[in-house]
Amino acid sequence: MRNRLDLLGLCALLAMVLVVYQRLDPTLLHPSTITILSAQFLPLILAAAGQTIVMLTGGIDLSLGAVLSLGMAVFVIYPPDAPGGVVAAMALALAVTVLAGAANGVLVAYAGLPPIIVTLAASFLWGGVTLIVLPQPGGHVPEGLVRAYNLGWHGLALPAIAIGVALGLWKLVKTTHFGLALYAAGGNEHGAYANGIDTRRVKIYAYGLAGLFTGLAGIGLAIQTGSGDPTIGVPYTLNSIAVAVLGGISFFGGVGQMRGTLLGALLLGLLTNLLLFTGISTFYQMILQGVVLIVAVAVKTLATRKAVA
Amino acid sequence: MTRMTRRALIASAALGALLATAACNVDQGNTTASPAGATGGASSAAPKALKVGWSTIYLAPSWMQQTLQMLEEDVAKLKAEGKVASYETFNANGDTSQQIAQIQAMITQKYDVILVDAGSSTALNPVMEKAVAAGIVVVNFDSLVTSEKVIRVGTDQVEWGRLTAQWLADKLGGKGEIIAMNGPAGVSVSEERWKGAEEIFKKYPDIKIAANVHSEYNLAPAAQAFASAYSAHPTITGVFSQGGALSAAALQTLVKQDKKLVPITGENYNGFLKLWADKRKEGFSSIATAQPNYLAVIALRAAVAKSAGTAVPSTITVPLPEITDENLDQFVKPDQPDDSYPIQPIPQSEIDKLLGA
Repeated sequence: MRNRLDLLGLCALLAMVLVVYQRLDPTLLHPSTITILSAQFLPLILAAAGQTIVMLTGGIDLSLGAVLSLGMAVFVIYPPDAPGGVVAAMALALAVTVLAGAANGVLVAYAGLPPIIVTLAASFLWGGVTLIVLPQPGGHVPEGLVRAYNLGWHGLALPAIAIGVALGLWKLVKTTHFGLALYAAGGNEHGAYANGIDTRRVKIYAYGLAGLFTGLAGIGLAIQTGSGDPTIGVPYTLNSIAVAVLGGISFFGGVGQMRGTLLGALLLGLLTNLLLFTGISTFYQMILQGVVLIVAVAVKTLATRKAVA
Repeated sequence: MTRMTRRALIASAALGALLATAACNVDQGNTTASPAGATGGASSAAPKALKVGWSTIYLAPSWMQQTLQMLEEDVAKLKAEGKVASYETFNANGDTSQQIAQIQAMITQKYDVILVDAGSSTALNPVMEKAVAAGIVVVNFDSLVTSEKVIRVGTDQVEWGRLTAQWLADKLGGKGEIIAMNGPAGVSVSEERWKGAEEIFKKYPDIKIAANVHSEYNLAPAAQAFASAYSAHPTITGVFSQGGALSAAALQTLVKQDKKLVPITGENYNGFLKLWADKRKEGFSSIATAQPNYLAVIALRAAVAKSAGTAVPSTITVPLPEITDENLDQFVKPDQPDDSYPIQPIPQSEIDKLLGA
């Protein structure tokens, strides 16, 4: 019940932002605008999905931005004429990011280290590896793919479809034994363990799955920008956390819905664009973004606390 | 009061607050979007006054603040001439994805001119090319992109590295041991300056690079980085530095530790110039060049010219100024803060020459 109310609140906020947006940009519902916006939001949505999975285990992933850049770098340096072409490049990039994620999971699960420390260290590690893979901006992404992604392919908004597919994938995962175990282990680790759930394995899978979403975000960003950039991922770490929190994912694990994260990402993205349209001074834009985030989270926390009391 | 109503109240209060902020944004948006001066200023014969926007990756550093000020002064002039109708600055705050969104928003809002100081040399290419395809004049300056479809105004960063490294090699008589102070790894400007410097140092096998340090272009992190490199290599005879704050950090460290002052290459960062002027009598020597703030003004002028139908070269390379022991006094500003970048303004005739080439 409470979850539903939270989502309704987010939907209401989003609807309001959309109404204001429509006033400033009347083309909002045209297919081309939807393509542009989804192309712009896809990396953030997927990164936030990855962050959400880690947060559901009660952890936090500070290496997300670095792993995103790493996935991007691996994707763009794979030679376009090598066997498998762009598909092999994607597979390779995703394999790397899944392993990077799973490595975090192993350290958190078996070494018993706090996620914040493990992933902070991992952020330096993968940041360095990324610079070896791709020392400066460049690399190769097929031009046709860049055009199809940014401008639409036969009128289809490819990024929007990709987001749909990714969320569908999550929906499937959630119904599996692993999905249930993830919420259980995140909500009450000892309880879950006592009930026969291998919480360590759950954590490793969860971090690995987060790596998969992060890798997809990196590939999306590479296709959006037509290139790789070893330092571009950094802001995604904090933005993905902000989005997940806005979407109602609890820092303490086990509570929250991927739908909420999606709404949170759309809300933050649209709001940022909205501020760009209004032409208010750029420093006030940052202040407003901060205020909106704090107000949204504070109101949610307040509402939740009352419900518990 | 039931829990439900209480929750509903909280929710509606939040909605109201957000609506109020949004509404006031809209009002402000409308007032800035309708330039009052433009309709009065532009005569029917003159070309249409332009809607100009600047998207920059950072606005906080003092170099950017100085650039903004110079740009706004020039915008005021062009507004008075009826050539510019409105002007807006967008700050991406280090987030390249945000910068893409900014340029996208400017396309949607039908800007006539988009100026860009890029956060990535490649990531903005698709959206900038889209703006060009939409008939917008896009001029990129300072931190340059690789796309050849936009007008680019900058200095030659490889030449920057060559120029200062050559001076250092000459000063050392072709032999010695140096520490290299570079900018952040993976950033094009830093990589290019170092590329130019390496080209020179390769010609001098007797110059040994004891340490190659990367740090932010900021005094505090640079000072830490230099201090640790220097403690490992106290016998160095020179420092190659590719940024003013880096040079200042190195020189300050030597002064503070009361060590022998070795030649250090520099940039027109006032804090470094002041220290250089002060230590010149003790035999300290340097060369400095500059990423001049007037790149922004040249970019704006190029955009205005292009919008009026004048042919403008697609790549405008602005010569690097040279500050030496001899002309240092013309540049250093003892009464101004360390964190400023003194530069002689560029005469209009020089701008015309660069645009007309």
